[in-house]
Amino acid sequence: MRIEKCYFCSGPVYPGHGMMFVRNDCKAFRFCKSKCHRNFKKKRNPRKTRWTKAFRKAAGKELTVDNSLEFEKRRNIPVKYQRELWNKTVEAMKKVQEIKQKRQARFIFNRLKKGKQLEKEEAINEVKKNIHLIKAPHAGKAKKLEEKMVEKLQEDVDMGDD
Amino acid sequence: MGKSKQIGNHKSDKKKNIAKTWKTKRRTKDLDEIHSDMTPTNAAKLLKQEVDYDVTGSAQHYCLHCARYFVDLKAMKEHFRTKVHKRRLKQLREEPYTQAEAERAAGMGSYIPHKAVEVQTQQVEEEMS
Repeated sequence: MRIEKCYFCSGPVYPGHGMMFVRNDCKAFRFCKSKCHRNFKKKRNPRKTRWTKAFRKAAGKELTVDNSLEFEKRRNIPVKYQRELWNKTVEAMKKVQEIKQKRQARFIFNRLKKGKQLEKEEAINEVKKNIHLIKAPHAGKAKKLEEKMVEKLQEDVDMGDD
Repeated sequence: MGKSKQIGNHKSDKKKNIAKTWKTKRRTKDLDEIHSDMTPTNAAKLLKQEVDYDVTGSAQHYCLHCARYFVDLKAMKEHFRTKVHKRRLKQLREEPYTQAEAERAAGMGSYIPHKAVEVQTQQVEEEMS
């Protein structure tokens, strides 16, 4: 017994769940839920349907190339049950899962960094552009005006002396 | 990508009952089937079919990419210039989606990005003119 992957959304299809469509050229398609089957019937492209795994990978939203993704594979060679091997495998699976999740989280974090940087730049730009809304028109010019006034007064005084 | 808005199908008989066209018993050829049709051996077979009076135009004028029969050469040539046909060619320019890709997307192996495929409208023999 196997947990298959859905043709459309790549979700797991457990035994007894979902449905299978066999096309008239004997190709079998498995679907995890009716939503996926319905979309397949409408001939939608999973690569272009936003909510599927295929879209997320094709659009670079998720980690695509990594060694941690190479463990889970379709293996067609049956392995004889050995208790020790079984225990070790389960342990290894947990470890791999942990590493995979960490790497995926880091990938997404790094991907979102760019947006944050752009946001910051945008904010700075906006302030620069609209600085006249914040600053009073004569702010910072008071000192200069004062100096000018003093100069002028001085001149007047000088004129009066003559 | 968002849903495309349906415009101007009020009079189209084909769009009267869309749910019916989605039934699997009326299923038309999928893109991956057409990709396998486009291989030279299959294409030669499909483009030179025997006379079959049950099929439109006795199965003599077949558009490979749209999987459609036409009454005569003129109708087919006209079809090549339509939006439907050009849209189909554009769809076919991507590698077909497979179960293997779905599994790779689910984390069984690294994901390999799909490649572009060269697709052109089939050649029409010019002996008629």
